[in-house]
Amino acid sequence: MILRTPPPKKQRSEPMHHESPSPLVAAEGPLIIYEDSPLVAPPPESSHQPSDHLLCTYQCRQMVKADVLDALSNAEKQISDYQSKLEALSESLSKAEAERKKFKDQFLYAEQELAAAKGREQMLHDQLLKEVNDSQERFKKHLETNNELKGKLQNEMNLRKKAESSASSAEEKAADLEGKLTQFSQSMEREKKRLHNELAQLKGESKLSVSRISADLERMEFRANNAEKESELLKEQLEDLKKQLNECLNQKNEVEKKFSSFTFQEVTSSESSILIKHLQEELRNYESEVREARKLKSSHEDIELLKAKLLEEKGRRERAESELSKLQEQHISLNNLENELSLWKVIMKDIPDVSCPEDIPVKFATLQKEVIESTIKIGEVNARLKQIEVGLDAAELAKQNAEADAALVKEKAEVLKSEFKRTEHMLSLVTEERDKLRNVINESRSHKNEVADGTVVQELESSLAKKESCIKELERNLHEHKEINDRQHNEIKLLHDRLNNEARRIKSLERESDRLRSEISLLESKLGHGDYSAANTKVLRMVNTLAVDNEAKQTIEALQTELQKTKEKLQALEELKSQSGETGKLVDSYISEKIMKLKEQIATLEKREERYKTVFADRISVFRRACCELFGYKIVMDEHQRPNGIPVTHFTLQSIYAQNDDEKLEFEYESGNTNILANNYTAQPEISHQVDIFVRKLNSIPAFTANLTVESFNRRTLS
Amino acid sequence: MASRSVAKDIITLRGSAAIVSEFFGYAANSILYNRGVYPEESFAKVKKYGLPMLLTQDEGVKSFISNLTAQLSEWLEAGKLQRVVLVIMSKASNEVLERWNFSIETDGEVVEKGVSREKSDKEIMREIQAIMRQIASSITYLPCLDEPFSCPHTSFGHGSSSSAGGFIVSLPLDVLFTGVFDVLAYTDTDVAVPFTWIESDPKLIANPQMVKLHSFDTKIHKVDTLVSYKNDEWDEQ
Repeated sequence: MILRTPPPKKQRSEPMHHESPSPLVAAEGPLIIYEDSPLVAPPPESSHQPSDHLLCTYQCRQMVKADVLDALSNAEKQISDYQSKLEALSESLSKAEAERKKFKDQFLYAEQELAAAKGREQMLHDQLLKEVNDSQERFKKHLETNNELKGKLQNEMNLRKKAESSASSAEEKAADLEGKLTQFSQSMEREKKRLHNELAQLKGESKLSVSRISADLERMEFRANNAEKESELLKEQLEDLKKQLNECLNQKNEVEKKFSSFTFQEVTSSESSILIKHLQEELRNYESEVREARKLKSSHEDIELLKAKLLEEKGRRERAESELSKLQEQHISLNNLENELSLWKVIMKDIPDVSCPEDIPVKFATLQKEVIESTIKIGEVNARLKQIEVGLDAAELAKQNAEADAALVKEKAEVLKSEFKRTEHMLSLVTEERDKLRNVINESRSHKNEVADGTVVQELESSLAKKESCIKELERNLHEHKEINDRQHNEIKLLHDRLNNEARRIKSLERESDRLRSEISLLESKLGHGDYSAANTKVLRMVNTLAVDNEAKQTIEALQTELQKTKEKLQALEELKSQSGETGKLVDSYISEKIMKLKEQIATLEKREERYKTVFADRISVFRRACCELFGYKIVMDEHQRPNGIPVTHFTLQSIYAQNDDEKLEFEYESGNTNILANNYTAQPEISHQVDIFVRKLNSIPAFTANLTVESFNRRTLS
Repeated sequence: MASRSVAKDIITLRGSAAIVSEFFGYAANSILYNRGVYPEESFAKVKKYGLPMLLTQDEGVKSFISNLTAQLSEWLEAGKLQRVVLVIMSKASNEVLERWNFSIETDGEVVEKGVSREKSDKEIMREIQAIMRQIASSITYLPCLDEPFSCPHTSFGHGSSSSAGGFIVSLPLDVLFTGVFDVLAYTDTDVAVPFTWIESDPKLIANPQMVKLHSFDTKIHKVDTLVSYKNDEWDEQ
């Protein structure tokens, strides 16, 4: 409300002055007037100048108006400025708020992500732990299985050593048994050979005997004829012998009579000489008879000799025939042996380490031992193979599982690492944003003091601080996880190394199993080829059928019966031959009766011969004594046969004047010829000289003996 | 006979030995027929193992195989038989051309203690049938025995008897035919050699080709079959 009375200028200047410094207050002054506001009581002076006012109110009013208008315009300008400023501020505020919201959202998001990352990390950590534990358990199991396998291997090694020792002892036993077996087999072979040879011999002999028997039969026939003729001759001889015997008997009776008469009668020298002459004649007769008897005897002996020779020759012939057959067989066997020898030599050349036949059994023994060892090894190796295969499979499975686990663990570790990196990156981003926000907040704080956002910012800051602490904790956890991961990596590396070792071991075992399989296939091929161990096995072959066997048996039996019959026949013949004392005869009844008769006659003759022998021995002893007395020599007569069968009489003469027993002369009388034999006595120079002169040159043994007697007599008498 | 009850299929040692020796008899006949050792007209068809099997009608071969199977059965019951080999040789050169090897694994516990085992008869027959089929089909890969085999036996001529120093003595089987096949038995060394058997060399083939056939198992005796034959010159070329 405008005062009706404007205040004086001075008064106006005061409010004018008052207005300039504070336009608002000045605006309030007039406003106060118009508004009748009791704020500023109008000054009392104004009430005191109502008349002045009426004069200058219009100017004052106009001036006031102008001033007010100016003030208004200024105020309006100020207001507009202030409004614009307000708007700008409000805009900035809104922006700040929006940014604050955005940052808040981002904070929340970061918090959520952090929480999620934390949860995931926790989960991963738990999973890792579980997997590590599982892998550790698996590796422990694997290690345990490996240890068990090692223990089993050691057990196997011990078993193998025991088996080897038992095998060596068994080998020794086997060698002994083999030696015994070889001996048995050799003895069996020898027996077989012998039996076969006997069989063959029997067969040959049977054939030979058959042929021989037929030949013998023919011969026997011829001999029977000859024997008949000889028997007739012998009969004639017998009759002659009988006659001679009768004559001898008569002479003997006469001689006995004469002897008896001779002993009882005393005779004169002439009669004695006559007697002596008679005696000498009788002696000569007797001698002739004796000679004839001796001739008979010699002929008889010749016959016997011939018989014996015949037998010998027969035997020789038979032996020769059998030996011939044996020769043939031996030739055949020789050829076979030579072939076998050549074969064996060829084989020996092929066999290594064999230089002589004696090495062959040793080599065979070693080969058999090797075969036995190899079969034993095969068995052991098979068992081992199976176990190793089982272990291999288990180890492979464990290896695969461990590899898969390791791969999984690696992947997870890599995932964890990536997540760790991501969270770190996020953290860095978050911290950057936080810093930015801080800066913005500080800036906004500096612009506005009264804004209520400071509390929110403070809240944000506090939450940021909390987040920072959380982030630090997370970082610490991450660091720990990192260390754990590193540790697990190291463990994984160790396990990898172990895995590689196991893989290498598995490869070596696989190689060994391949080698053993190849060995097994080789040995199986050898077994399939037909090789065998002579220690455990022998090969038999079925020989012939029953039909052939029966036929062979029958033929053999028939041959054997024929053999026996012929043998009996031969024995009978031989008996007959030995009893009759003649050359062989046919088994004929007529001839056998003759033979019996002749045998009786021969027996009687032999008895008589023995009687004559005794008589003649007495006579001969008398004769010898007489000769010794008469001629000065003791004569010892020996009869023996030369190797060619001719009888020879050996005389040993010892002079009665001999000074020692060595002085003996030896003569040989053979069919009318007397020869001196050399000995130590005749080798003496004197005696040999005499022998040369009398015997060789003068051809007179009586002269020699007489000379020797005279000399020895002279020596004796003179000494 | 063999104490096998169809209901329970229990197998004793004697029954198993009878099965194996019978199998060998039929297998030998089949080999002789399929390899042309004897002429086809000398064989007659019988039903065995679910297959038409051919058995020789030649009396000599029949008696030979029957004696053989009897002896094998005896050895199998004693657990002394390790292997039976049927050897086919060239009649001209006495060279071994083929070896049909039947390896036998015996369960020692059964021999010692006389226990029995259980196995289905049908199963055993099926296994034997498989082997017989394989023998019949072996002509597809075995080399030809291209020597013309003469007609059935003419006379019982005595073969060469190599006496004196050798292992092999007495009449070989070529008495019946002209030196074609022989049977070897690998036994334990303590086996007494019967009258009709002699010790022999194993009649091996140098550098043979080997073909492994099926096997059959009675739970007491396990028989593996393998044929080894001389490499045919044509094949090598």
